Amino acid sequence: MRKRTLQRGLTGFWWLTVAFLYLPLAVVVLFSFNASNSAASFSGLSLRWYRRLMGNEEILSAFANSMVLAITSSVIALAIGCLIGYGMYRHRHRKLGWLIVLIYLPIVLPDIVFGISEMAFFVQIHDWTGLLQPGLGTMIIAHVTFQIPFVALIVYSRFVGLDPTLFEAAKDLYATPVRRVVHFMLPTIKPALISAFFLSFTLSIDDFVISFFTSGPESATLPIYIWGAIKKGVSPEINAIAALMIGAVAVAATISLAFSRRRLT
Amino acid sequence: MSETITADVADQPGATPVTAERQQEAATRKASSIEMQGLHKRFGRDTVALDGVDLDIQAGEFFTLLGPSGCGKTTLLRILAGLEEPDAGSLVVGGKTVTEVPPHRRSVNTVFQSYALFPHLSVRENLAFGLKMRGLPAARRNAKVDEIAGFIKLGDLVERRVDQLSGGQRQRIALARALVCEPDVLLLDEPLSALDAGLRSQLQVELLRVQKRLGMTFVFVTHDQQEAMVMSDRIAVLNGGNIQQVGAPREVYERPVNAFVARFMGHDNLYPITARHGDRLTTALGELTAEEGGEGELLLIRPETLDVLPGEVEGRNHLQATVAERLYRGSHAEFRLEIGETTLQATVNNRGRHLPDMGDRVTVVVAPEDLVTLSE
Repeated sequence: MRKRTLQRGLTGFWWLTVAFLYLPLAVVVLFSFNASNSAASFSGLSLRWYRRLMGNEEILSAFANSMVLAITSSVIALAIGCLIGYGMYRHRHRKLGWLIVLIYLPIVLPDIVFGISEMAFFVQIHDWTGLLQPGLGTMIIAHVTFQIPFVALIVYSRFVGLDPTLFEAAKDLYATPVRRVVHFMLPTIKPALISAFFLSFTLSIDDFVISFFTSGPESATLPIYIWGAIKKGVSPEINAIAALMIGAVAVAATISLAFSRRRLT
Repeated sequence: MSETITADVADQPGATPVTAERQQEAATRKASSIEMQGLHKRFGRDTVALDGVDLDIQAGEFFTLLGPSGCGKTTLLRILAGLEEPDAGSLVVGGKTVTEVPPHRRSVNTVFQSYALFPHLSVRENLAFGLKMRGLPAARRNAKVDEIAGFIKLGDLVERRVDQLSGGQRQRIALARALVCEPDVLLLDEPLSALDAGLRSQLQVELLRVQKRLGMTFVFVTHDQQEAMVMSDRIAVLNGGNIQQVGAPREVYERPVNAFVARFMGHDNLYPITARHGDRLTTALGELTAEEGGEGELLLIRPETLDVLPGEVEGRNHLQATVAERLYRGSHAEFRLEIGETTLQATVNNRGRHLPDMGDRVTVVVAPEDLVTLSE
């Protein structure tokens, strides 16, 4: 009897946790469909705020910037991180202590420190060379830097999970180095690459702090636009953007998770 | 290389025996000999894997590298495959020096211990992998895969996914994947060690049949001396990076050259020779007459060559013993006999006659021609 009470208590706690996590998001999504202007009262469903978004040049450009930034940085991070992940795998028997720390550090470093450092660095380079004017370019570089560790670790763990003899089997079966990459390595780690891409994409879309410090006047992304807009108060329009972002990130994160769960026999 | 042996053999339905001439023909067309000279390999500073190995393997031979783990047999196989480069020495396969040729340019294929089937490919794609890497067009790849599938009798396994296969099935796919490439030499790295005993002996027979029908040179690595004796034309016993003995299974088992080979082949009855007068050898067992005195300082008595008679019988090479232990195994019985302070193992075939019991006094009869002397 007592056990049953405990079980119920725990079940209740679980739902409380879920509510705590998702209720705020639900409120934002709900109010994005609010027919009235007021953020205080809900007066029926409407798509007017979404329609309003579509007509707002500033928002559309911020959306475009976010997408260009997320896709470009993810592709670059995928290429570099994949090579690093393979390198870590190939040299896993050596003592790589400090190298692993170097790879992990950007993950645990506070975003604000990372952002400020990147900004200072870009400004310095710009002073000396005239290159790296703050804008999408500098943002892409900054995003690639924090995405690389995630890609490298995902790719590395995929390689570690493989039977090492497979690499020898590929050599033994007449595959040249290039063909080993094309016909064995890339197809074998494909699920890891897809997972890493969507994780990078999500991280990029989510990021505000690092983007904020490295952006230029023309390269505001959605989070930066929202930050600017809410200084004038939370409008239902912002709710609509937030709801769309929640949807996009949920899809990307689900794809990432689905592919990272794929196990080899 | 245009007309292939696998194709020829596979054309025949089922297990039609191949004629001797046909086998001969196959051997001369396909198989390659291997010559190894002064192969040295060291890992790190002080791990010597191979310490100067000279070995010739004949074309069409089923050759086994036998030894305990760490003896260098796997390193030797990996050097043959090209997966490891020797520090010194040369390797000639089929008359061509291949010491520094990378694995993807050697006409040598390996059946790996873990089978190493590609998980991202179907069974058919696994089988076709080597052919694809060699640039064979899809139609010919498929034809060859079907031929080998018929030859190894894979049936509908070809259309399955790798994760749907059992251990024994994986083993046969791994064998087929290597054979379909028609290599000059096939290397097998303990390919049966992960299987249970029944399946293992079944696949031993199958592997042996495949080798005889193709006449291909097989180099087989194992630590199991029973398996080595069943399969091989010749065996090389390795220890500490050195070859201890090379010979036919009977030679290695019945006439081991030293104590290591004798012990590794499963012999326990080894006795230091304390004195010798011509063909009369003195050991802890007493004085025994051998056919020849020999040179070695150890005497080997194989348990299955002994006659065990009930009671005490006097005679030349008759030893009086007490039964200390009897293990009844159905087809035969194993005895641990005590002669003074010394023990002697004897195996007696169960012909339905009286088998001595524990504590019985018996007489062991040793035939002079069955005594072997060897060095430490």
